[in-house]
Amino acid sequence: MKRAFCLIVLLCSGPATLAAQTGIYQHGSIVRMHMGDCLLGQSGFMMAFGAPSTPAGQESCPEYTLISNSVVYVIVGRSSNQLIPLAETIDFRLHKNELVVRVDDARKESKFRIKEMIVRSEWDRVQRHIDEQMKAEEVREAQR
Amino acid sequence: MVKCFRRFFSIMFVVMIPCAHHAVFAEPSPSEADDITNPTYHSTVSEVRLVFFATDEHNHNVQELKKDDFAVIDNERVIRDFRGFTRSDTTNLNVVVLIDSSESVLPRLQTEITDAVQLISRSSSGPSDGLSVLSFSGLGTHVVCSEDCRDLPTPRILSLPRGGATPLFDALETAATLLAKRSRPDVWPVVILFSDGDDTISKISRREVLDKILSIGAQIYAVDVSGSGSPSNGSAVLQNLANDSGGRYLRISDGPSSILDHVMDDLHSARVVTYVYPGPDSDFHSIRILPSRNLNLKFHSRCGYYHDSRHIASQEKP
Repeated sequence: MKRAFCLIVLLCSGPATLAAQTGIYQHGSIVRMHMGDCLLGQSGFMMAFGAPSTPAGQESCPEYTLISNSVVYVIVGRSSNQLIPLAETIDFRLHKNELVVRVDDARKESKFRIKEMIVRSEWDRVQRHIDEQMKAEEVREAQR
Repeated sequence: MVKCFRRFFSIMFVVMIPCAHHAVFAEPSPSEADDITNPTYHSTVSEVRLVFFATDEHNHNVQELKKDDFAVIDNERVIRDFRGFTRSDTTNLNVVVLIDSSESVLPRLQTEITDAVQLISRSSSGPSDGLSVLSFSGLGTHVVCSEDCRDLPTPRILSLPRGGATPLFDALETAATLLAKRSRPDVWPVVILFSDGDDTISKISRREVLDKILSIGAQIYAVDVSGSGSPSNGSAVLQNLANDSGGRYLRISDGPSSILDHVMDDLHSARVVTYVYPGPDSDFHSIRILPSRNLNLKFHSRCGYYHDSRHIASQEKP
């Protein structure tokens, strides 16, 4: 009886809980977000000849820049309403070429397609360059 | 080496004596004395000020809201570091009621006018600073009553011009001009628009009129008077106008009391958040407020602002 109860509990607890228990989540922070194209899912033959799953230009999907300690990910949702809570820190894990984000305190997970991956140090270098350019622009504006 | 040090200190001594004399014996003027006791540090910081309200999954206003319940997306950047977060001190409304009396809404004009009259009569008991009533049809916008219309006689509304084309965006521009004239920091400018959303003849574009609405910080409460429940282009236009200005999209079937209740509830639950201007990457900064925890929360605010020093300074109002 006890064994059956344990089995039921184990089956009922979703993958998110299991992942949390096994401690496989990484931590990161969303620093950028915009609504972009959704055309990331199909590839190869289907992309070239198949009917589009969503009409081009009709729906836009959220695109996030997620920075972790070592890697910066650009991830795209599957639909316009697939949002990530923009807390200071979020938990995520990599699973079959996708990035799975823990949403709402481990009650569920949300899968995102990975559009780009950049080494953190490289991303930081580019950001520093952009910041310097923007500061220079601000100075130019102030002088006008 | 010792010689070198001795020479350095003798030079320093010669330089420091006059400075010390000035610091100790110079008589400060009254303003200088004031400056010494109360030093003022000047710094130029561009600040973005955003007024918004939040609703839950049942479209009810959220009263309890914390600083870390949301993040602002300003031109794609996620902003969580806010300089200020308070309840809005806005207590008064400056309302322009815009009534579409063009050909396309004629079959439902009587209902529209009845609702508008009820809305105006109800607003007389509310904290309204100004109330203007405009109608639009044919080639132009007609001012039914300006600024203090709380006691507007019903026959004047019933006799408004009707039929013809729909200059919706031109009418919104006239409303924005009226609101801008009476712009004050403690007054919330609101447009209550009764229309089917089908513009047919305006000289100004939707984008241009939205820019004008955004520049004065007005919110559009768009009341869809189209009879059909199915989505139409006009309904989409009204929804976009309401969402982009931080207002609400409502249906005429909601009733006039509901419309005014929504406006008042939004006014009372509005919050102000301020943050440092994130940088001059473009003239127009798009804005979106998204939840940081509860994904059921929906935040209503204007969809963006134009960056220029004059404009940012003028945003001391919702």
